[in-house]
Amino acid sequence: MKHYDCKYYLDIDAFRGICKRDKSQINADDSACEHFEKATKCKHCANFSMTETDLGMCMNEYDAYPEMKAITCNDFKWK
Amino acid sequence: MLVLGFQFENINVTRNPQQQIFLTTNNRLFKIRIFKKMATNKDFLECSTDLYNYYGAKPKGDIQSREINKTPSPRADKARQLYFETKSSASVEFPYWYTRKWQDLEGEVPIIRRAEALKAGFEHLTPAIFPGELLAMGKAHYLRGSYPMPWLSEAFFLAQEDEMYKEIQKAGKVSADEVTTMGQGGGNVTKSSGNVISIAGKFGLRKEEMPMLLKVAKKWYNRSVDDVGHKYEQLVPDYKTKEEIMRAVICMFDSGYTLPQGREVMNYFYPLQYGIEGIINICKEKASDTAGYPGMDRLYFYKAVQTMLEGLQTWINNYAKEARFMASLEETQGQKEEYLEIAERLEWLSKNKARNFHDALQLVWIFHVAVLNEDAISGLSPGRLGQVLYPYWKQDMDNGTLTNKKTIELLECMRMKFTEIDCFASMGVVGGVLSGNTFNNLCVGGLDKDGESAANELEMLIMESAMTCDTPQPTLSLLYDEKLPEDFLLKGIECTKIGTGYPAWVNNRVAMEFLFSNFKKEGMELEEARAWSLGGCLETSPGSWMPLELNGVTHYIPGGSAPATSVGVHFISLPKVLEAVLFDGMDMRTGQRVYPPHGFKLDSYEEVWEAFKKYFSITVEVLTLTNNIQHDVWGKISPSIINSMLKPDCLELGKDISNKGCRYNRTFNVEVCGGVNLVNSLASIKKNVYEENSFSLSDLRSAIDANFGYVSALETGSYSLIEQLKTKDYKEWLKIHKLCFDAPKYGNDDKYVDDLFKEWQIWFNKMCKDYRSLYDEPMYSCQISVSTHAPMGAVTLATPDGRLCGTTFADGSVSAYPGTDKNGPYALFSSATCYNHALSQNSQLNMKIHPSVVKGREGSRKFLEMIKAYLRKGAFHAQFNVVDSRMLKAAQKNPEIYRGLMVRVAGFTQYWVELGKQIQDEVIARTEYEEI
Repeated sequence: MKHYDCKYYLDIDAFRGICKRDKSQINADDSACEHFEKATKCKHCANFSMTETDLGMCMNEYDAYPEMKAITCNDFKWK
Repeated sequence: MLVLGFQFENINVTRNPQQQIFLTTNNRLFKIRIFKKMATNKDFLECSTDLYNYYGAKPKGDIQSREINKTPSPRADKARQLYFETKSSASVEFPYWYTRKWQDLEGEVPIIRRAEALKAGFEHLTPAIFPGELLAMGKAHYLRGSYPMPWLSEAFFLAQEDEMYKEIQKAGKVSADEVTTMGQGGGNVTKSSGNVISIAGKFGLRKEEMPMLLKVAKKWYNRSVDDVGHKYEQLVPDYKTKEEIMRAVICMFDSGYTLPQGREVMNYFYPLQYGIEGIINICKEKASDTAGYPGMDRLYFYKAVQTMLEGLQTWINNYAKEARFMASLEETQGQKEEYLEIAERLEWLSKNKARNFHDALQLVWIFHVAVLNEDAISGLSPGRLGQVLYPYWKQDMDNGTLTNKKTIELLECMRMKFTEIDCFASMGVVGGVLSGNTFNNLCVGGLDKDGESAANELEMLIMESAMTCDTPQPTLSLLYDEKLPEDFLLKGIECTKIGTGYPAWVNNRVAMEFLFSNFKKEGMELEEARAWSLGGCLETSPGSWMPLELNGVTHYIPGGSAPATSVGVHFISLPKVLEAVLFDGMDMRTGQRVYPPHGFKLDSYEEVWEAFKKYFSITVEVLTLTNNIQHDVWGKISPSIINSMLKPDCLELGKDISNKGCRYNRTFNVEVCGGVNLVNSLASIKKNVYEENSFSLSDLRSAIDANFGYVSALETGSYSLIEQLKTKDYKEWLKIHKLCFDAPKYGNDDKYVDDLFKEWQIWFNKMCKDYRSLYDEPMYSCQISVSTHAPMGAVTLATPDGRLCGTTFADGSVSAYPGTDKNGPYALFSSATCYNHALSQNSQLNMKIHPSVVKGREGSRKFLEMIKAYLRKGAFHAQFNVVDSRMLKAAQKNPEIYRGLMVRVAGFTQYWVELGKQIQDEVIARTEYEEI
């Protein structure tokens, strides 16, 4: 898994971010450390299903994409 | 005439700088290839055309640094270092949720549908709190975050769809953009790399988001403001001419779907006076009062505002939750407490009024971002923020809960927040017009409601923080009035001397005269004319005094009370219109006919001038009509809700901005660029062709065709005259070129050319009033160049003043063309003030001064007296780059060691490394004053 997928990853920009735990600056696409926890994203939601590469459906009704952050989504349910 | 077997009448033979020959008739155009170069103007001369770009003795020795160099607080320093290392990044989050909700609400009342869509966008923004922040929240979860708004225009994405898909496939490879005007350094993502795709040469987008961006964009096809507006603007009778004008880049862009709001002044009164919950209660009461009564749009407006505010409450509380989460992870006690304070403050402000200075600053920032997220906006100015916040600051200082040091730290944090703002737009807009800048102009000084100096101690600290933490945003403008205290003015000088170009010096009385004459019909009184401020870089904007109550005392605070300005006709290239006159309506760069033949033989200077006025008038007319349609469609599909709520008297009247809810609505204008090159060219034609018969107009056309024997700047990549490459044939054109150069030039107190300048100004300022805006008000003139003098110069052939093809025009409106102001600053001032500046929304003068000239206390005094002298002559504006040009050249060669270097361009300050080369070359070429 990558830093980009981690709950503790804070985006600075599209390339890199800050680890919320230790405040170090890290590259989004580098491998995550042992403290990794899954970020709240659509791909981890029970309401999400993949339909094609990089795209899917939310609740079988709305277009969605797996990497979308979902921490503010009231309908998010962990798979 | 028989050519290649075809019979032609009225045939015209022309050639562009690429040596392509065009044969044109009234309605047909043919391009032919030539095998033998046409020979003209055989007078060979040995003379130089080098420009002298110093006034006074050319500086010697080491590069001179700027005199004043202050340092920010450790907190701001850390934030700035992080900013320097951060790339502009875009996200699909907001447009995704906006579009999803919009589709859910098919058939809903449009303004309610819009409010619900915006609410969904705000509620789903991922919160991000960065370590060390004292002010929280931003446009998106990235530090320099922004996002596309396909409901305004999706064409940009769809048109590049295939290319974008290819980019996904080949991410990591360079996509060369030969005509880019974007800066190649700093925070610009100029190339795709790894999992990040470059958009518009500036924004990085995670490649995982690209398929959704395209999917969302497609949902707006034929539904966006751009598409719907386009459908109806084609009904304007002369629409085809408009298209040709846009293709020729005689006009820079349409405003209705690119940057429909901005160049205006925020008004923070309602949130400060009532708090969010208080405004919601007002909306509920008003909705109750209006439900079922005639004028039902008021009901929908109040409901829309309430909906939006509820969305903002969720947005704010999401950030508060994130701050508490960050606190839960934090082991450092001080940082933990700061996160908890942020959480508590946001939770409080999600409902209530500000309690203190820090609260008020945070609340102001929340609403500033809320408006920025509502629309594609550049130039959303905080206005006279030091006067708005003064009551809170004074309260805290008096009760001992705030110090000057803490104030400066907070203001530095505010500067970083404003500097982090990005505006997502196409390359032409964000690069060609804005240079990546967002124009958040903070004004200090001016007069208060009663006509006394409005300067205060907080504004002194605002200027101090702009020196300790010198960043592009917010830029500062000092509203100069003779009533301002000397120590305040000297503080302004101290700030100007740091070399970042702010504060700009702006004449309060000239602005008031302009406002009074243009907004009197809408009820403006003298008292309210004093409430003005600058929207965007230099757009004089009307304001009002609103009664803020704090601790039982009423404070009348200034704030914007008008909608966007610099909407209407956006940047007409004056030299390009003149070029069309010389070539009878043709665009010689593209070989396309733009205007119908003008019908003048051009036997006299007067005919040239008449033909110019004819083409210019055609341009203004068709652009006014088409842009009126676009803005009308904008108001119907994508009306402003939060900004409307903030602007007096929308909330009182129950009308949004597009329904003339603002107190003052006459803000559509006609913007032009390249005025000094136009006037210098007219002077050259008048003198050389018609008075002294030095060469014919036909000779001049040929010389222009041949670019006076130089290689086009588009080929050399050098965009000023100081570094140009001659062709082997340049001597053929040298005589004409020298005569063009030697013709009278604006900026030297030369009556010959200044009279032409005055004639242009009087005619232009008057003719704008003949055109009616969407709100059925006469338009007025606006004369700023922003960055358009670069791309518009790039598409313009050589001009009769000696300027070469592809090079930039003179910046601003009354700046001299680089190197041509040879008689010192006071001669320049005399030329600039040869007409009444109050006739126009603005004028713009840039000067470059060597740091040694204004060194020390004596230098400061001298500098201030020079500025006063200019403004006392009736000038509207002056701004200064205090810099050694050699430093700029060094920075161009070694940008990596000049990341923090800033310069003033035309109404804005920008990091050198984030400017396109065209603008960099132009700033380097400006005359550097070694004496004042």
